[in-house]
Amino acid sequence: MMLCFYLSKGLRGVRPPVLASLSPGRQREKICGGGRRLSQTATDDDRCRPLEGVKVLDLTRVLAGPFATMLLGDLGAEVIKVEKPGAGDDTRAWGPPFVGSESVYFLSVNRNKKSVAVDLKHPRGAQVVRQLAGVCDMLMENFLPGRLSAMGLGYDELSRRNPALIYCSISGYGQTGPENQSPGYDSIASAVSGMMHITGSEDGNPVRPGVAMTDLATGLYAHGAVLAALLHRQRTRMGVHVDCDLLSSQVSCLSHIAANFLNGGKEARRWGTAHESIVPYQGFKTKDGHVVVAAANNQQFVKVCQVLRLPELCQQPQYSTNKLRVQNRQRLVHTLAQRFLQETTADWLKRFEGSGVPIGPINSIREVFSHPQVKHNGLMQEMKHPTAGRITVPGPAVRYSSFTHSEPTPPPVIGQHTVQVLRDALAYSDDIIKELLESGAVAQNRVC
Amino acid sequence: MMLCFYLSKGLRGVRPPVLASLSPGRQREKICGGGRRLSQTATDDDRCRPLEGVKVLDLTRVLAGPFATMLLGDLGAEVIKVEKPGAGDDTRAWGPPFVGSESVYFLSVNRNKKSVAVDLKHPRGAQVVRQLAGVCDMLMENFLPGRLSAMGLGYDELSRRNPALIYCSISGYGQTGPENQSPGYDSIASAVSGMMHITGSEDGNPVRPGVAMTDLATGLYAHGAVLAALLHRQRTRMGVHVDCDLLSSQVSCLSHIAANFLNGGKEARRWGTAHESIVPYQGFKTKDGHVVVAAANNQQFVKVLRLPELCQQPQYSTNKLRVQNRQRLVHTLAQRFLQETTADWLKRFEGSGVPIGPINSIREVFSHPQVKHNGLMQEMKHPTAGRITVPGPAVRYSSFTHSEPTPPPVIGQHTVQVLRDALAYSDDIIKELLESGAVAQNRVC
Repeated sequence: MMLCFYLSKGLRGVRPPVLASLSPGRQREKICGGGRRLSQTATDDDRCRPLEGVKVLDLTRVLAGPFATMLLGDLGAEVIKVEKPGAGDDTRAWGPPFVGSESVYFLSVNRNKKSVAVDLKHPRGAQVVRQLAGVCDMLMENFLPGRLSAMGLGYDELSRRNPALIYCSISGYGQTGPENQSPGYDSIASAVSGMMHITGSEDGNPVRPGVAMTDLATGLYAHGAVLAALLHRQRTRMGVHVDCDLLSSQVSCLSHIAANFLNGGKEARRWGTAHESIVPYQGFKTKDGHVVVAAANNQQFVKVCQVLRLPELCQQPQYSTNKLRVQNRQRLVHTLAQRFLQETTADWLKRFEGSGVPIGPINSIREVFSHPQVKHNGLMQEMKHPTAGRITVPGPAVRYSSFTHSEPTPPPVIGQHTVQVLRDALAYSDDIIKELLESGAVAQNRVC
Repeated sequence: MMLCFYLSKGLRGVRPPVLASLSPGRQREKICGGGRRLSQTATDDDRCRPLEGVKVLDLTRVLAGPFATMLLGDLGAEVIKVEKPGAGDDTRAWGPPFVGSESVYFLSVNRNKKSVAVDLKHPRGAQVVRQLAGVCDMLMENFLPGRLSAMGLGYDELSRRNPALIYCSISGYGQTGPENQSPGYDSIASAVSGMMHITGSEDGNPVRPGVAMTDLATGLYAHGAVLAALLHRQRTRMGVHVDCDLLSSQVSCLSHIAANFLNGGKEARRWGTAHESIVPYQGFKTKDGHVVVAAANNQQFVKVLRLPELCQQPQYSTNKLRVQNRQRLVHTLAQRFLQETTADWLKRFEGSGVPIGPINSIREVFSHPQVKHNGLMQEMKHPTAGRITVPGPAVRYSSFTHSEPTPPPVIGQHTVQVLRDALAYSDDIIKELLESGAVAQNRVC
């Protein structure tokens, strides 16, 4: 077993040292288990997470930002979520559905965070945030570019006080440029970035992905970016301003679709579930649902014909190579479609078992969460919420051999940790805290 | 300006120290600019990237893995892409389209990497990879679980030699569990994970996102995960096995859609471009294309459309009522939108405060001034294909710019260079290996 020394940040606005520095009264020893194999059972050592000791000041709201900070929280970072007193993060009001009075939307992306209710427009509230930025490793925000600067909370000001601060901005289109003042909405960014143009049925209108993948991709980019910045800071001792935006995230994710255009002017189009250059490689309706089949080569096509009991198909010369199948796509797909309609999804999956042809059902959400692999991967994370009671949210996607994602803390109620954070992170006295509460600059939840 | 000391890895199978250790003959000084504001112009300091000095052994192929390692390469890591001699990464053959003989698919996700052609099935090839794993910070792979172990290249074996190794596996469904032997295809994972069920028009069949977002999300998860592991290693000096998979990435990304079901059994359905609980908040066909509006404020919205009577109708007076009377309202709006062009609508909505945007084709995307401003078209000179352009990095840092990317390599372009530099093999050994077929060097460059 390895000894880990945990050292946390300085107090009272002292310039925060990089992770490995000492701070009186805060040195802690902790044993971390290392190098455990994936299949081994969790032990007490599982509390040793990669980002233990990292402090994140979270000024984000809605989805992209909170998703990113949730990923950091899952990895052990302390996430201090700053919310405006009263309503808090906009998504607290988004529903139905609610669990008790808690928005399910909010619950889904806000575990492993503390909530501090601070009025940024109140001068003392802004001051609290400035001081928190002085003792945190990173700040994440998704205000319209310029808004936080106007409140004295922009990168320029905060990095002057804390040059080691990693300041990550998330916006619709970027911090600068002709479009930078356009607010960031996933569906609009999805439209502007080309994602909708390429999504939908072949002869139908463009649609958007059923969940806000542009927002989520941006959150994923952001979480990696700040970790890279933290690594960089180990050497330079300097922070950085990181600029993430919905448009760029989605355009970058266009990858080969974009490159097809950029190197030859090939415009993209919608393909439904089909593949532009492989046939058959798409969804088919069954008696009671849909399956997706991915027959990438001739052998697999032959197998498909066998399983479907359409042997004459693979004997027809116009379907003998992929190139020909692509050329004669419509007729072939029509024939296969008629056949798939005749049996149930479960039946087809059984018949294709062991054939070597990749196939899968188009699962409803209910079916997803009945899937044994989904359960095995820990993708349903249960926890006890202080007011909503027992809740379940989709679990973390990535597993590490060195710890398990056990005992997540539930999404906080608004201002649940205001006093605790003022006391612990900023060492405010009880008198100062009382004053701040009375001024309305900050608020503490009375329920818990 | 800050002084940065760059120190790179040990040689000859010496257990690699963590990033900050010294290795004789390899210490380099480099000046890094820090804390530059986003709007400032780039200088020579721009070479100081966050992951300079990090060595990635990349055994991945196709999309999720290569996308992740490309992100690491963009941030300055040295990415050593191991490919089988001859064909290399499967996507090298994927096309048309090609630029010259280079697959555009391959070019789109493989910049900033070196290619080393090694036959993993050849005992000496496997040995080369084992030694490379001894001098790299991380290894990324997307083989079927168990395959690399069978070749003596699994986490257990490689971490015994190099306990500091961060070993990231990407698969379809995970390293363990009932489905772990199912190969990972984006479209199938997208189906199994619920993504297709929720994507498509309201009355239509499920469709998949037009680009492999499940693969890409997995790559994004993986790139963050290995960086977290690298940070952790600073303290523990130990590596880890990281387990990423398509199914988990996509299910996690279902976020509130999943939570709706998990806390109340609410099944999801397809909404086209529409929003389940806000109306009007969707796409509309115009005379020559489509726009998407996200209208929370009804007054401004109908004023621009010149349909004032709409906002006087009681059945449309609140969002809740508009949701209830969705069909009729949307039909009315749709008829109106059809009457003008996209450009016209965008102009009319300017300054209205109503969020609106065009559904851009790919051509239109790359004519967008903001796309250009954000550096999303990255040009470079490829040794055989000539000038190529690929979608650029999504994230910008105040401390460096994404200038001078190295082009996607031809297969085996850097085999000899890597054997010499990373493993300090002598010319004789290298010659032997080439002759044995265990490794291959590209002759073109």
